Amino acid sequence: MIKAKQKPIAEIKALLAPYRNILILGCGTCVTISFAGGEKEVGLLASSLRIASAMDPGGQKIFSEQTVQRQCEWEFIDAVAEQINQADAVLSLACGIGVQALAERYPDKVILPGVNTTFLGMAVEHGVLVERCRACGDCILGLTGGVCPIARCAKNLLNGPCGGSQRGKCEVNPETDCAWQLIYDRLGKLGQLDRLSSLMTYKDWSKDYDGGPRKIVREDIKL
Amino acid sequence: MTSEKRDLRAPPPVEPLPPCAATCPAHTDVRGYVHAIARGNFEEAYRIAREPNPIPYICGKVCAHPCEDQCRRKDVDEPVAICALKRFVTERHDLGLGHAPGLSCAPPKDAKVAVVGSGPGGLTAAHDLARLGYRVTVFEAYPRLGGTMQVGIPLYRLPRETIDLEIAPLKELGIEFVTNMRVADVDGLFADGFKAVFLAVGSHVGARLRLPNADLPDVWLNTEFLRRVALGERIDLRHRKVLVLGGGNVAIDVARTAVRLGADRVSMAFLESDETMPAHPWEIEEAKEEGIEMFPGRTFKECVLDEGKVAGIKCVKVDFHGFKPDGAIDMEEFVDTEHILAADLIIFSIGQGPDLSFLPKDGSIAQTKRRAIQVDPVTLATTKAGVFAGGDAVTRVGFIIDAVAAGHRAARSIDAYLRGVDPQTVQPPDPAKLGTIQQKTLDHIRKLDREPLPKTDAALRRSTFDEVEHGYSETQAVRAALRCLTCGAGARVDPDKCIACLTCVRVCPFEVPGVDRGTAEVPVDYCQACGLCATECPAKAITMTLQSDEGVLRQVKLAIMRARSGGEPGIVGFACRYCAYSGESPEVVKAALPANVQVIDVLCSGKVYALYLLKAFEYGADGVFVAGCIVGECHNDKGNVHAGQRVAYVKKMLDDLGLNGARLEMFNTPPGECASLVEDVTRLASKVKELGASPVQPGRSN
Repeated sequence: MIKAKQKPIAEIKALLAPYRNILILGCGTCVTISFAGGEKEVGLLASSLRIASAMDPGGQKIFSEQTVQRQCEWEFIDAVAEQINQADAVLSLACGIGVQALAERYPDKVILPGVNTTFLGMAVEHGVLVERCRACGDCILGLTGGVCPIARCAKNLLNGPCGGSQRGKCEVNPETDCAWQLIYDRLGKLGQLDRLSSLMTYKDWSKDYDGGPRKIVREDIKL
Repeated sequence: MTSEKRDLRAPPPVEPLPPCAATCPAHTDVRGYVHAIARGNFEEAYRIAREPNPIPYICGKVCAHPCEDQCRRKDVDEPVAICALKRFVTERHDLGLGHAPGLSCAPPKDAKVAVVGSGPGGLTAAHDLARLGYRVTVFEAYPRLGGTMQVGIPLYRLPRETIDLEIAPLKELGIEFVTNMRVADVDGLFADGFKAVFLAVGSHVGARLRLPNADLPDVWLNTEFLRRVALGERIDLRHRKVLVLGGGNVAIDVARTAVRLGADRVSMAFLESDETMPAHPWEIEEAKEEGIEMFPGRTFKECVLDEGKVAGIKCVKVDFHGFKPDGAIDMEEFVDTEHILAADLIIFSIGQGPDLSFLPKDGSIAQTKRRAIQVDPVTLATTKAGVFAGGDAVTRVGFIIDAVAAGHRAARSIDAYLRGVDPQTVQPPDPAKLGTIQQKTLDHIRKLDREPLPKTDAALRRSTFDEVEHGYSETQAVRAALRCLTCGAGARVDPDKCIACLTCVRVCPFEVPGVDRGTAEVPVDYCQACGLCATECPAKAITMTLQSDEGVLRQVKLAIMRARSGGEPGIVGFACRYCAYSGESPEVVKAALPANVQVIDVLCSGKVYALYLLKAFEYGADGVFVAGCIVGECHNDKGNVHAGQRVAYVKKMLDDLGLNGARLEMFNTPPGECASLVEDVTRLASKVKELGASPVQPGRSN
């Protein structure tokens, strides 16, 4: 799922400085699960901002709170149109998709991001989120034993490891497992080490962001 | 994960009660009053305990407490001392507030109701009917009120002042009591203008085996013996060897009474084995402490005479298997085991039944085959219109609390009958009961010793009818109450908000929640009500039955107002109900804190969620603390660790906001050292005073 992290409070305060009536809008799906923008986080951020506002001699702000199921769906964001229209600005705690969906749906409204959308990943334990996918558009996990070198190798190497792999860890961050060590170990367990004897050819990066914003059209199900 | 459970996403048709309340015949909200004691709210606890029970003082001392047999803590260590806690709240209750604070009375009605018998059933029915406005007269055959409680239960278990204390408020309700009045003519009561009658005559006729010589003067009956002693007759048993036949609770009462009357030797002989003896284990233990000898596994053949006087009883050893459906004894006699147990006074205590000689001769009030009054089990209506019956007169033998329940049932039926409503329609359905706790959850529950009830030493009590058991102190009561598992008061998941993120599954210290069909479920049978899942749930889909976020935040506002009322900076604390006070009474510890400190009790320090802390500052608190136990001592595994992490997070947030994070602290109280909490809080209070009032002023923010 999409993982995000709340922006520092100082940055949020600066973003909100010009506005008085502010709607803090949470999203009930990915950012909720990543403890960044669900109903609970909306409440915590609103309370923090009220404390800040109460200490601000420059004038009081009014914060209202709302959470929709998914900010990346027109229907869900339309359900809170009234609150959005009443606000001077909306602080969205959704990922960048939700922020843009709001901006597109409410062209006259100031929509501000409250979180940094960080990566596609999972919780390996409660409170620890890790990146697992870069959405490169051309999945090679079938060749790499189910470990992604694009998302998990700092150099996105297709034929690793590099010389910076030290005792299974990455030279960029000694806490990070070397993706190619993991690939080697997995292929070994699967009895597919021979895969490593052939070079992987270059990757078609046009399917990644390098080809510009991507789009999927399913002609079979379009209305 | 869900194979053995009902669908918990839909609320069950009847909310299951904790086993204590479901088992209590009067369905007393045990969890409610025990929880109130744990919080130090003793008057609230009394109010809860009193509500379904007009004789809580008596029950606090002598209730057979079937609730404890079902208490689910027995599967962890020992049941919660529920009965002793009821006794504690009655002893703490200020009778100046009334015997039944908060209970109302309907305007008076004309209809008169007669209650025959002033035992627990009769008193309860009279109480309920009087509150409903009826004119109630209670007829009692003996000179003193209370039925078996007065003429059966020995004084060392129930001082008679306790009975008086329950009856005085009933008189104030306008109930008329007529003593020394054995009702002989039920029809005559209707002729006297009574519109309905409740027969609660109890079970006062002891049974005697038809053995040779069993009718001699030195062969007595349990009921008669206890009644004579209870009504003040001074029976001298010095130099006597007493043998009580029977192994039930009444037999124990008889034997222990004989000890107190000076008998040289008192022993008991009965059919059952040591293990299957029907008396309560604690009664048997106390009897043994008082020197009573037990002869289990005996059947009796004849009373043996020596020069025309009773000299003992001829017995044969048996293997007793129980009673057959027709009431016959199922046992095997061992060959060549005939022997004599010597005694010069034999007291039968093998059972008792009601005296039904007063019932109309025309059979209009039918009896059962076992010589009890026949009633409809739902309404307690007898075969005669307008006449209802309950208690031991119907069941032959039951607990006091069974009779209380029957009294309530009868009062509802009589009220319906007098209003022309079908009594079948006014009785509440039997409650559902929570199931047992799964083993993996039991394995995580912290074991806590049961607080023993103080007792007079056995050697001292042999010569006196003074009470044997004494009540808990405040500290003991709070500790005993904190052992409650608060069954059934746990987490509830709102399936519309749940996004199956698995957070609850991961944080629960008791392995209770699961995710099934896209929604988390926290089985009510297993939840330990710690609140950690509710605190962590990012979708706010989980609420706690015992303590909602809204409720806590309301308390926070109020606490700040109170804390600041003296002009000093106001400090609000969140304290774990288990550990922050290290088992002391919360009220005592709170009284030792500075006046500008207000404390809110929470289910666990881990239940304190970051929002409570931020909101406290938002509402204008000058300082805030969280109090739990030291790491490793938490009842909920790591609740205190989670609390510490959240406090650290909010401290940083406060620093970032420009409100000094030093205004917030986490305190960990070591077991038994509540003074350390007082010191920590006092230190925080001085620090906050130095920092001055919070720049966040209530009313300035929205």
